Amino acid sequence: MLSRLTPYFLVLPLISFIAVFTYIPIASSLNLSFREWDFLSPTMPLVGVENYRLLFSSHEFWNSLKVTAIFALVSVPIRLGLALLVASYLVREVLPSRILRGALFLPSVTSTVSIAVVFSWLFATDYGMINAFLQTLGLGKVPWLQDPQLALGVLIIVNTWKQLGYDIVIYIAGLQAIPQELYDAAAVDGGRKGRVFRRVTVPLVMPTTYFLLVVSVIEAFQVFTVVDIMTKGGPAGATDMLVNMLYRIGFTLFDIGQGSALAVVLFALLTALALFKARVLGRRVHYEA
Amino acid sequence: MKPDSRLLAGLALIVGLLFLSPVLYSVFMSFQTVDGYYTGNFEFTLENYELAIGQYNFARYLLNSIVVSGSVTVIALTVSTMAAFAFARFRFPGGNLLFAAVVATLMIPSHISLIPNYLTLARVGLLDTYAGLILPAISNGFAAFFLRQYIRGIPVALDEAAYMDGATPLKVLWRVIVPIARPAIFSMGLFIFITEWNNYIWPLVAVGDEDLYTLQIGLARLYRVNPSEDVVNWPLVMAASTITILPVLLGFIFVERHLVRGITMGAVK
Repeated sequence: MLSRLTPYFLVLPLISFIAVFTYIPIASSLNLSFREWDFLSPTMPLVGVENYRLLFSSHEFWNSLKVTAIFALVSVPIRLGLALLVASYLVREVLPSRILRGALFLPSVTSTVSIAVVFSWLFATDYGMINAFLQTLGLGKVPWLQDPQLALGVLIIVNTWKQLGYDIVIYIAGLQAIPQELYDAAAVDGGRKGRVFRRVTVPLVMPTTYFLLVVSVIEAFQVFTVVDIMTKGGPAGATDMLVNMLYRIGFTLFDIGQGSALAVVLFALLTALALFKARVLGRRVHYEA
Repeated sequence: MKPDSRLLAGLALIVGLLFLSPVLYSVFMSFQTVDGYYTGNFEFTLENYELAIGQYNFARYLLNSIVVSGSVTVIALTVSTMAAFAFARFRFPGGNLLFAAVVATLMIPSHISLIPNYLTLARVGLLDTYAGLILPAISNGFAAFFLRQYIRGIPVALDEAAYMDGATPLKVLWRVIVPIARPAIFSMGLFIFITEWNNYIWPLVAVGDEDLYTLQIGLARLYRVNPSEDVVNWPLVMAASTITILPVLLGFIFVERHLVRGITMGAVK
């Protein structure tokens, strides 16, 4: 019967794309990670776990993992904390909050390359706007992107500036789902603003927080563009993220085996994170209707 | 409107513009001469745009970005709407498994497929082609997941009435579901278009031919060819940057609400 095949026919195009460009590549990354290849040679011999052994014994990998973890662990709490605070002020559907929401949201849909270029200028040592401002205050020039201590901080600032509006928009949707009666009850009990925020808003918006936490940690572990434009991982590896390392090994050193091993490790790391969310956090979150 | 809410709106606008000031200033800078920029005297000029479009090929990059993002949007919406309809309305063996496979792509980091996709496209000779830029971007389950949720909210009675009149499933999809789901499809389309417009790592990997650069790659290269930061032609770079963000910036005001809906509905569900 033709009609029994209908749903298969409908899903076939999407499933084919996903199979060819997502699922088969996972298997082929795994396969390539046990081989040695440089894009050119006619053979790709199996080398066992050699690529993983080299990866785990390289300073480069542990440095990248550390830098990426710091980036994620610092930028995510700042983003979420700031976003919830701002969102709680902009939650009402009135003109002033709609205007401000729009402005804060805009960077999250703007080209990351453009933003990285603009902030490269802002933080440029000579002729940059921030140093120009510091000089009018009688302070010296700061080598923002050339100083290993500062460069990662600048990237965190840029990332926060870009993504904050997204977090705010999601939080506002979450906040609007909280029944007004709960706030009314808190008001009747004479709760002060800060207390209501801590005791009512924060716990009730927890599902949204968990969602954002997972999404933004996963995203932070995949940060690439802003780093590639602003610092290229430098100075001296101080901002070298995992994906920047992956791009370098795969597409400038053409070490396919090593690059694939790194991709597999990154994949395993993020999958573990996603499962952690589903299994552990998922059980503790039951505020949704 | 009460006077104090007008005051608040004005205040919100000022704070918003301050927040956006780095980008706004970069647009302003793009209309300045290089000499004016370094000496601090403002002289209005369009020469940065002439240079970017003429000598630096940004008209071509703009065209490439439009072709690639437009194609990705149309193809992704078509295959995702079809799949969403199937997942929302049909129970079929393997359906749940396939749906899980689609949803799981939301959690799978795209970088795992970077090297394999490069190899796949190299094998079939699609590197340095529009197809090579477009096809891998279709492999995303977000739109199908989101639209399936939306379609489930449409009363089945509408489908049944159409089937009664002898419509085929494709006709029901096209004549009944698509018109009702149009706002959701539109939101998804915007979301896909902007995501693809801003895509950087894949075109960086898949394209070496300068004639196929998208705006993102063109801008990154233009910024890079400057030997060091003190001799960067910042006004020229900012003109290129403005061309890169302009379509999204202009459209943003009209479509913000749709965009926000696309993003939040996917998240809060």
